Amino acid sequence: MTAPGPASPGLARRAHPLTGLSTAIAVTVLAFLVPPPWGPLLLYGASGVLVAICGVGRAIRQGVIVCLPLWVFLFLLHGLMGGGPTRSLGPLTLSADGTIAALVQAGRFGAIITASLGFYHAFDPSRFLNAVAARGWPMHVSYLFVATLHALPAFLDRAGASIEAQRTRGLRYRGGAWARARAVVPLALPLILGALAEVDERAHALEMRAVAVGGKRTPLDPPADTLADRTIRWSLLLLVLLALVGRLTSWPM
Amino acid sequence: MSSRLLALIPLAVAINVAIGRIVAELSLPVYLDAVGTILVSALAGLGAGIATGLISQVFAAFVSGYVWLAFAPIQVLIALLAYFAARQGGFRNFGASIVWGCLLGVAGGALSAFISYLAFKGVTAGGVTFLTTVLVGAGIDLPWAVALSSLVTDVIDKALTFALVGVALRSLPVRMISRYPLALRALGR
Repeated sequence: MTAPGPASPGLARRAHPLTGLSTAIAVTVLAFLVPPPWGPLLLYGASGVLVAICGVGRAIRQGVIVCLPLWVFLFLLHGLMGGGPTRSLGPLTLSADGTIAALVQAGRFGAIITASLGFYHAFDPSRFLNAVAARGWPMHVSYLFVATLHALPAFLDRAGASIEAQRTRGLRYRGGAWARARAVVPLALPLILGALAEVDERAHALEMRAVAVGGKRTPLDPPADTLADRTIRWSLLLLVLLALVGRLTSWPM
Repeated sequence: MSSRLLALIPLAVAINVAIGRIVAELSLPVYLDAVGTILVSALAGLGAGIATGLISQVFAAFVSGYVWLAFAPIQVLIALLAYFAARQGGFRNFGASIVWGCLLGVAGGALSAFISYLAFKGVTAGGVTFLTTVLVGAGIDLPWAVALSSLVTDVIDKALTFALVGVALRSLPVRMISRYPLALRALGR
């Protein structure tokens, strides 16, 4: 895992950061509200088109990689092993209801994961920080988010270094499950203790910058929140509300 | 929120993710992705533990799909039980850690099974779903297969996680651990 690098050019890069976040959240909610069986599948298609138009088309391929094992298990559990009436498809005998349920769930996974990864690839930490500061979010909330984002790749590198160092010292971590489980302690403990030793140093730095005091900060260069951005966000909210009303009143559960 | 917590929480979230990488390298059939959450709950209390768990879940969702946000209540449950374990001296030795880990595994597995079945139709992460598939193949109904596989994997996972956090807490120098009064209680001191 790496922190999102320079955000890709295109619509996603130019849009207000909260517009991208709102879109990904709206797709997540809609995936469970649109009428099955076609709704989730169409939403998946729409998500793919959307991320491609917005210049983060690589989210489609990555989404397929993330979804593939989930799709396989859905097909096995519901299509092949599902109950109820069956249908033949070549050499396979599939559960009719189970196959539809698997397709619906596969569409949901595809739509949500593609939209989420699209937002991830368009994400620019400093723009996001400025955008939420302009909105009046407390500094420590946005700090937690961005500090975590920066800590993740560093700790993954440390984990890799710890594995290499212990391997050089002769730690055996192949073989049976017990032998591998025992190797967790020498690999993980330096990571945990090192992190705790770092806390004081970081806390002093934060203290000096008065981050914990909270209060509203004034961003130097907040991203523009255009009329188009606001229209998109309100339209998404309206769409979700309409889908919710539709779901509650007529569509099958 | 104090500066110490602001410094501690991002590091604990990073620990959750980095230990996940170590476990993957060792090809172990567990996750150990709540080490940071349990550690912070035992060091700094319930609020900090919940914050760590929820931020971890948000980041997991951020990089692999918001669909995983459905499991956020489990992070709250983990922080809650880890906090109670710490208050009861649940990390004072290896045996106590394992017992509290198993308790959390049962509670977490039950909640996880409920969410997996309702929101995901039983298909979530690879290891658990593989076990579910094997159980369904053996003739067990899907709801029971999801419950059984979640319970088995969670009990093993959380027992190991608690044991690892216990080892880490007992390894801390007195100078460092004395800054966290709850941690002293967790170790029965």
